[in-house]
Amino acid sequence: MSIFWVVRQLAYIQESMATSKKVITKEEWERKLNDVKIRKEDMNKLVMNFLVTEGYVDAAEKFRSESGTEPDIDLATITDRMAVKKAVQCGNVEDAIEKVNDLNPEILDTNPQLFFHLQQQRLIELIRNGKIEEALEFAQEELAPRGEENQSFLEELERTVALLAFEDVSNCPVGELLDISQRLKTASEVNAAILTSQSHEKDPKLPSLLKMLIWAQNQLDEKASYPRINDLSSAKLEDPAI
Amino acid sequence: MPTSATNNRPEDLILRLSSPENQTKFKALRELKNQIIGNRTKKLTYVKFGVVVPAVVNSLSSSDSSVIIQASAVIGSFACGVDAGVKAVLDAGAFSLLLGLVSHSDAKVVDAAARSLKIIYQSKLAPKYDFLSKENMGFLISLLDSESENLTGLGATIITHSCQIIAEQKVLYEAGILKKLLDLLQGSLSQRDASLEALAAVSRNNPDVSSEFSEANDGRAFRVVCELMKDKHPRTRLLASMCLIALWNTSPCHLQDVGLRSKLIHILVELLDDPGQVGDEAPFALSSLIAGKEDLQKLAFEADVIDKMSKHLKKDPLPAKRLQGIFLALADVCSKLEVCRANLLSLEVLKLVAEALNHDCSEVRIAACMCLRSVSRSVKNLSAGMFMNDLIVIPLIKLLNDASTAVQIAALSALCNVVVEFTTRKSIFLQYGGVKQLVHLSTSMDSTVRLNAVRALKNLIFLAEKQLKGEIFLELSPATLWSLICDHESSVQEQAICFVRNLVDGCVDSIEYIFTEEAIILHAIVRLLRNTSSPEVCIQGMYVLANVATGNEFHKEAVLQQLLPPGGSDDPFVLIKLLQSNDNRLRTATVWTVVNLTFPSSPGAYGRLVKLRNAGVYTLIKNMANDSCLDVKLRVKTAWLQSVAFCDNST
Repeated sequence: MSIFWVVRQLAYIQESMATSKKVITKEEWERKLNDVKIRKEDMNKLVMNFLVTEGYVDAAEKFRSESGTEPDIDLATITDRMAVKKAVQCGNVEDAIEKVNDLNPEILDTNPQLFFHLQQQRLIELIRNGKIEEALEFAQEELAPRGEENQSFLEELERTVALLAFEDVSNCPVGELLDISQRLKTASEVNAAILTSQSHEKDPKLPSLLKMLIWAQNQLDEKASYPRINDLSSAKLEDPAI
Repeated sequence: MPTSATNNRPEDLILRLSSPENQTKFKALRELKNQIIGNRTKKLTYVKFGVVVPAVVNSLSSSDSSVIIQASAVIGSFACGVDAGVKAVLDAGAFSLLLGLVSHSDAKVVDAAARSLKIIYQSKLAPKYDFLSKENMGFLISLLDSESENLTGLGATIITHSCQIIAEQKVLYEAGILKKLLDLLQGSLSQRDASLEALAAVSRNNPDVSSEFSEANDGRAFRVVCELMKDKHPRTRLLASMCLIALWNTSPCHLQDVGLRSKLIHILVELLDDPGQVGDEAPFALSSLIAGKEDLQKLAFEADVIDKMSKHLKKDPLPAKRLQGIFLALADVCSKLEVCRANLLSLEVLKLVAEALNHDCSEVRIAACMCLRSVSRSVKNLSAGMFMNDLIVIPLIKLLNDASTAVQIAALSALCNVVVEFTTRKSIFLQYGGVKQLVHLSTSMDSTVRLNAVRALKNLIFLAEKQLKGEIFLELSPATLWSLICDHESSVQEQAICFVRNLVDGCVDSIEYIFTEEAIILHAIVRLLRNTSSPEVCIQGMYVLANVATGNEFHKEAVLQQLLPPGGSDDPFVLIKLLQSNDNRLRTATVWTVVNLTFPSSPGAYGRLVKLRNAGVYTLIKNMANDSCLDVKLRVKTAWLQSVAFCDNST
């Protein structure tokens, strides 16, 4: 499992940062790496954290029964959260909003920005489906009052409504709103808000660990030549450049 | 599936809300919930349909748990962020029903009810919780001991909402609440936040609880809060900061660490960048941290707070709450230090302050006035006539007419500074009708308005030109001035007499004002000198006499006659009484009057000296040669030398 190598590498680099620039051979490096003790439970927790945060509920369930690692959140809530996320990703925004409100009615009442983005996504979907009249009515009824309450919402609303002005939306300056990436962005915003409402971190720890590894290796490059991990998926140690 | 237009009609929804069918009712409630969550406009619309909220509240008594849960959620949403909504659900009797549901057998019902109660308690309109009742305290403890986040959150929110006075803090402390709240700091994100707010409420202005808190678990609790100040969630950072500020404002000894103070300032400034509620509240926290504390204002200045807040002001239109907070924080940071004022003015913020004086929201107008008041304390800029111009004066005069008394008072307090200026621009104020307004407000029923109006007039007339003085006096009229001197509030009397002091200061012609209408003003002042117990009033009164005594023979004789009435009276002479005052300032003023009465170059001086000596004044003055106050000593010396000079000449 490559996560283990990553964590070990990172832990060791942090220890060796203090030494002056020198060449460290692969054998020497590996011997030192072997001295770094990483607890298996901690590794498992990292994995579980990733699965839970990203919403892989089946995998989390299996991982729990195989490794005995307890998730820090009720797995049932993941299913609900994933259903919301998936609804946004598929463009069923109204459905997603209803699901969030069933899950916890406070989320959208206390996150005006998220609520606006969901409503904006709803408008985008109406435009995408060619329901122009409905879109206009929706923008006027639901979104315009939010724009009055907040200047930046108003600007975003204007940008979105601009979609209606172009015949060929795929080539217009605000065309990116119709991209699938816009849905993903909105979906991940809802996902994060639900996680926060459940007092859970909104990002998994693993990606930040990888970022930290890259940063630490870059720092160490100035001080030593050593076996780097360049390919993060295999976490293979390269021979030190001399 | 989009619902069809006919189903969306409120009338139809109302009908379904009252349906005897649980399923229909459930659907209607859920639909209503999805319509109003996040949508202020819809909430207000439904609240106006008077029947909607009561119908929802009725559903709380349903036998079907799922109906109750939906109804609770709808009620919570109506109460979330909309005061009219809170009022509507309270009026419909939701409060006691929800409280009852907290003990329901279905955990989901309990959760939903607790969540909605918590939202209601976040509003000021919620009824105050009575901690002094044993039964209530038991319930509160059971909430805090619960496993459920919504219940512990409700418990903490009740404390934040209702714990205001020392007696309540004491009874909560004695019930062991402090420890329970500290335990909650270890809980989930929402529990931590709720606990931080409640901790601030139980320790604010209560030195006993504050020191218990700081020292709890060998200071570990305090360190936890310090750590939370660096938490990654902005709301937690804000609440931890506010908790520390509450502690610190109560007992400063717990926050000796200068590093911690500047860290607090930096964190709060950083939180200004938050686009939401946290960013709106951050400047208020900053304001409570630095208000009245010069050392912290200096730290804030060094942390570039003024620059950063000015940049925010220059951004797109800010929400009213944030504008208010920023102006208040700027007012505090500029309240004492000239460098701060110079900094703010150099950033060309004055124009934005002036604009905010016209803001729709009265709180923003008040905050802009406070900011202007602080900045206009700068003598240097006052002298340069920085504030006496159309930009500032026109909106300020307009605010004197404001429908809100609080705005009027704030505008007056800014004006008090603005009108103290030394160039010849004071007449601008008259031209724009400012004097008329001030005179009008000086007869207000509200004593604070009256006080500030007279204070502004007093400052306006200070070192004013002769013509302006005449016009102000005419506008005010001797009768109104007389009634202000006789006001039942001694603070108003003091300002009114000080107005007279400034009026008769300067050229001899001005002194004549005090003799108009058979000298009613002079008589009123002397009567106060005899009767009042307020040294402040006496000081101003005595300076009026001292100023009048600088005039011609007639003026001097009039003063002497007031101080030593020829017919004699039962009271000891007021002059003798005041020379023996305990107040240094009053003794100084009284001796000044004697000095002016006996100024050697005036023809009647000797005659007055004899009268004063016969009254025993010089026996007293001789004894004052070694007065503990240096000012008094100096004037006594002058008075004595003047009297000795006459004796030398006469022998």
